[in-house]
Amino acid sequence: MKTKSSLNRGVQIGFGSAIVTLLVVGAISYRATVASSESDRWLRHTHEVIGDLRELRLAMETVEANCRGFLLTGNESYFKTCMASRQDVAQYETMVRNLTVDNAVQQGRIPEIESLTTEKFALADKVLDLRRAQGTEAAADAIRSSRAQEITTEFLGLVGQMEDEEERLLILRDADAKRRLGQTKAVLFLGTLLGVLIAAAAGWMVRHDAGARDRAVEALREGEERFRDMANNISQLAWMADEKGYIFWYNDRWFDYTGTTLADVVGWGGQETLHPDHRQRVMDKIKRSFKAGEIWEDTFPLRGRDGSYRTFLSRAVPIRDAEGKVLRWFGTNTDISETKESGAKYRGLLEAAPDAMVVVNAAGEIVLLNVRTEKEFGYNRDELVGQPVTNIIPEGFAERLISDGTRSAAEALAQQIGTGIELIGQRKDGSRFPIEIMLSPLESAEGILVTAAIRDISVRRAAEKHLGQMEGRYRGLLEAAPDAMVVVNTAGEIVLLNVQAEKQLGYSRDELVGQKVTNIIPEGFAERLIADGTRTAAEALAQQIGTGIELMARRKDGSEFPIEIMLSPLESAEGILVTAAIRDIGVRRAAEKHLGQMEGRYRGLLEAAPDAMVVVNTAGEIVLLNVRAEKQFGYNRDELAGQKMTNIVPEGFAERLVADALRSTADALAQQIGTGIELTGRHKNGSVFPIEIMLSPLESAEGILVTAAIRDISVRKQAELNLLHKIEELNRSNEELGQFAYIASHDLQEPLRMVASYTQLLSRRYKGKLDAEADEFIAFAVDGAGRMQRLIQDLLAFSRVGTKGQEMLDTSSEDALQQAIINLRGAIEESGALVTHDPLPGVLADEMQLTQLFQNLIGNGIKYQNPGIPKVHISATRNGGNKWAFAVKDNGLGIDSQYFERIFGMFQRLHKREEFAGTGIGLAICKKIVERHGGTISVESQPGQGSTFSFALAGNEKKS
Amino acid sequence: MKSPEENNQFLNVLLVEDSPGDVRLTQEAFREANLAVRLHVANDGVQAMAFLRQEGAYVEAPRPDLTLLDLNMPKMDGRQVLAQIKADDVLKTIPTVILTTSAADDDIAKCYQLQANCYLTKPVQLDAFENLVKSVNDFWLAKARLPNRQAED
Repeated sequence: MKTKSSLNRGVQIGFGSAIVTLLVVGAISYRATVASSESDRWLRHTHEVIGDLRELRLAMETVEANCRGFLLTGNESYFKTCMASRQDVAQYETMVRNLTVDNAVQQGRIPEIESLTTEKFALADKVLDLRRAQGTEAAADAIRSSRAQEITTEFLGLVGQMEDEEERLLILRDADAKRRLGQTKAVLFLGTLLGVLIAAAAGWMVRHDAGARDRAVEALREGEERFRDMANNISQLAWMADEKGYIFWYNDRWFDYTGTTLADVVGWGGQETLHPDHRQRVMDKIKRSFKAGEIWEDTFPLRGRDGSYRTFLSRAVPIRDAEGKVLRWFGTNTDISETKESGAKYRGLLEAAPDAMVVVNAAGEIVLLNVRTEKEFGYNRDELVGQPVTNIIPEGFAERLISDGTRSAAEALAQQIGTGIELIGQRKDGSRFPIEIMLSPLESAEGILVTAAIRDISVRRAAEKHLGQMEGRYRGLLEAAPDAMVVVNTAGEIVLLNVQAEKQLGYSRDELVGQKVTNIIPEGFAERLIADGTRTAAEALAQQIGTGIELMARRKDGSEFPIEIMLSPLESAEGILVTAAIRDIGVRRAAEKHLGQMEGRYRGLLEAAPDAMVVVNTAGEIVLLNVRAEKQFGYNRDELAGQKMTNIVPEGFAERLVADALRSTADALAQQIGTGIELTGRHKNGSVFPIEIMLSPLESAEGILVTAAIRDISVRKQAELNLLHKIEELNRSNEELGQFAYIASHDLQEPLRMVASYTQLLSRRYKGKLDAEADEFIAFAVDGAGRMQRLIQDLLAFSRVGTKGQEMLDTSSEDALQQAIINLRGAIEESGALVTHDPLPGVLADEMQLTQLFQNLIGNGIKYQNPGIPKVHISATRNGGNKWAFAVKDNGLGIDSQYFERIFGMFQRLHKREEFAGTGIGLAICKKIVERHGGTISVESQPGQGSTFSFALAGNEKKS
Repeated sequence: MKSPEENNQFLNVLLVEDSPGDVRLTQEAFREANLAVRLHVANDGVQAMAFLRQEGAYVEAPRPDLTLLDLNMPKMDGRQVLAQIKADDVLKTIPTVILTTSAADDDIAKCYQLQANCYLTKPVQLDAFENLVKSVNDFWLAKARLPNRQAED
């Protein structure tokens, strides 16, 4: 906070500056104005010069023009004007000279110009005279031969130069003027601004000062109030005094203790409470402090209300204003009488402490120590008191405790309290030993002291080292173990683990140590081990030792896997620990499971198989069988398991399978695999039945086993037998039938022959000789007999297809066709039919029947015709591999599709007997022949469009 | 054709046939074919042998120029007759033609085995039968030279 005078000074300076600035600005403005007007003047001047120069030029030109005019015309007016202009020229030259008197360059040109002018005029005079005298021609000649032109050029050049010069100056001055103007403006602006700012600053300062002062007063009042509040809440006695030391306020504690009132002790009255012996000293000291404005501190007794004196440590601090002037004094009195008394008590404790105890002050000096310290460090008390603690603890103590620039003693201490710090202690003889110090603070009149309990930990260190070694060895074992090893304490926390455990569980060591073992073995571990109401940890453990327990472990990623743990106890300082060797049995489990599944599946299959299944080992004993086997052989499972296979398959099995000197089991088996072997099975009741067995090998832990699927084929056998019988019967029947057909038709022929023949004879001999009716009757008889004969012949022919059928031989179908054509030559000639064919292949056929086939089809083609030329074409196309598709195409009547099936039936006709002859057996025979050759016959036809009969025959190519 | 009186020759044909119907038909057929043929009939094998041997009732019987022999006859069937004929030196030179309804290959084979001169199957149709007889006549009795015929001058 500024003082009044300084403020005044400030204000003065401020205003002074402002005025000065304004003056300066004014001066500059003035100067600028002057310069400006000067500049203007120069401009005008320059313009004038330029103007004059121009006029000069013009004047010269006028002179010349008029001179020339006179020369040309001789007109005197020209002459007059010329002369007048010459005067102008001289005039302007003079003016220019005068005006450019300041410019040396320009001045230099003037004489030149003037001489040129003179020369020119002289020349002109001469020319003019010449003109007058001798006329234009002479004058022109004179001009032409003279320097006239040159002079003019030079003159104009110089004038031009002068003009240019002036122009240049003009520009310069113009620029100059502008610049000055700019500068002036800037200066004016800045100056004004500066002035304004200064004035403002001054004004602000004044105002600020006033405010600050107000605030200072406010702050003081607030401070007092705060102190008052605090003071009333602390245990110390407190008071406030004004700048002179006049105490105007005491806290309640003061009044409580002293039993006084404010009126008693206000101002200097408080000194009454001072102990008389100390009064003078204290008052002097405090007055001195007040005066000096220094912090006051003193220790003296104060009288309490009960009249007794207690020692108080008193302190007062000044409160200053912004200028540093003391406004107030805040003071406290702290009762230290107990401290002083308890000092002795404290000392007693210190001495009795089992550890070395050292009390150090904020400066790092040993204030107090006990007898153990003396002994430990080999010093005498006196040799240490007042010494730096670094004498006995060279490093680590002081740094930790001494307040430094970054923290107070209290803070430093606060960081160390409670922690046991391991350092090195140094004895008087220089030897060093490991110590552990425990610190605690101690408030004293001299400030905060540190009590350090120093413990010699060399023994402990040795033990630790030893333990460390042991641990190291143990740890080595642990690490090297192939299984995951985890050590758990009775609280179920993981104390130790090895790298295998880390790997298996996917954790890093640190993540598990200290954690509950349930993190990695969710269930089964803790329950087994933790002591509960019924048993101690030791007992619990004892129960588990040695047994491999199957549990589930959980990895860090949450996945679980089956484990087997083996436990063993470990005694340690922390109690009984449990070492658990953890083995991942996932693979084993999987294999077991898989095997179990396989087994289960296999067993399932076995049981579900429709056939009896028996598994036999290489010794020929039944290892396994299913329920169907039980049923089939009438045994119970138990009765067969382990028994020889020969019990149920007396012969044929063992010999096939058992290894003998010639071949191994595998070989023997290999020979049998896949084949269905027909043997005989024996039922429990002794009955035998035919069986078919199919073998397959089965690898197992016990070696190669043979699975035999046994099927009771008695039914099949019977069926086979039946079939055979049936076939025999059928054959016999067929033969009988064939014979029958033959015999029947043959024996029928005889009487029929008689009837037919004699009726014909009758008809022949007596036609016309008997009456008409007789003729008719005979005619019917003859007809009937004839039909019957034909029917029977056809029937015979039909039956002969089967009974007289020949072997299928390599036959030329073309030959068969030719034969058929020969057989039909009568019909062919009669009808004029055209029978054509493509090249026909060799086939496997009964030649006679093939001929018959062609004959019938071609015959039909010729027979069932419209009037015209019948055309029949026979072709054959290959029909996949070794088959030939034959086609007999005719241009006959055609067949309606609804009859396609019927026409191949026996004695089926589509026409009346009157229309076409025939019994209707032809196509039936064709069908039978084709079917006998293993094919089928079919027809494609449309009424009126002819028909195509198709059938397939096997080619004669031999299969390679 | 010359009349039998002019040639003083009949052709004797022995028909060994048990079916009277067939006998009559054959007779009618020969009548159509050749009037010079005298058809002698034996109804079974025994009669046939008696005739051929000119024994018993057939002492006066002529020696046939041709024998037409049916196979299926009671008592002694044609095969046996054939066998006996061809076993007899005297009789075996008589051309013996089998004329039967059977077309069985076995029969055919057997007969030729027994040295039948020819095997004919009776056609079912009358016309065909008549033609067959005509053919037999033309061949055996006209064209073929027969033994035991007095040499013609």
